[in-house]
Amino acid sequence: MLNPLRSEDEAFRFLLYAIAVIVVIVGLVLILRALL
Amino acid sequence: MLLFIISEIMVFGAFFTAYFFIRVAQGDPWPAPGTHLPVEVAGVNTLILVSSSFTIHWAEKSIKAGNRFGLKAGMLTTFLLGCTFLFIQINEYANIGFAPQDAAQTTIFYSLTGLHGAHVFIGLCLLLFVTIRSFRGHYSPEEHRGVEVPGIYWHFVDIMWIVVYTTVYVI
Repeated sequence: MLNPLRSEDEAFRFLLYAIAVIVVIVGLVLILRALL
Repeated sequence: MLLFIISEIMVFGAFFTAYFFIRVAQGDPWPAPGTHLPVEVAGVNTLILVSSSFTIHWAEKSIKAGNRFGLKAGMLTTFLLGCTFLFIQINEYANIGFAPQDAAQTTIFYSLTGLHGAHVFIGLCLLLFVTIRSFRGHYSPEEHRGVEVPGIYWHFVDIMWIVVYTTVYVI
């Protein structure tokens, strides 16, 4: 399991996953805002 | 380290609570009427900070492989990118056109971005120590904990900024 506090390598991978999740959330919010 | 990161998340959480209270519970407009947030400049600044996470990752990978040039170049680049981020942030404050006391929204804006800026400053101090030590010949493939821990902290600062940027500037 990914533990971002165990090593810099895992923290970096966590950062990449976080960016991906945030981009999806922001995209959904902006799309919903445009539709409603 | 776990307790430290949890306490940091709680500190940021307190400010985000104030932010969401203003926007969701109060229903106030964001940003405050008559104010404008420089979304594009902050977006470029976000790219600068994200790229600094890539360069510190390169530095860490390099020292693990015994590549001293990669360590030094990676740490120096990360430090300079961090300084650039902070410089642009301070420049933004100087030219943004509103003060913390003008409205509740502006107070939250300065609090959230200022809290993050303080974390960047602490991170830059750590990065400066690591950069100086790497140029003095410290660290090795077996002993690189001094690069690893500031790296974890720097990635945390980066993640927090992405959350701050998307909530304060974009959404």
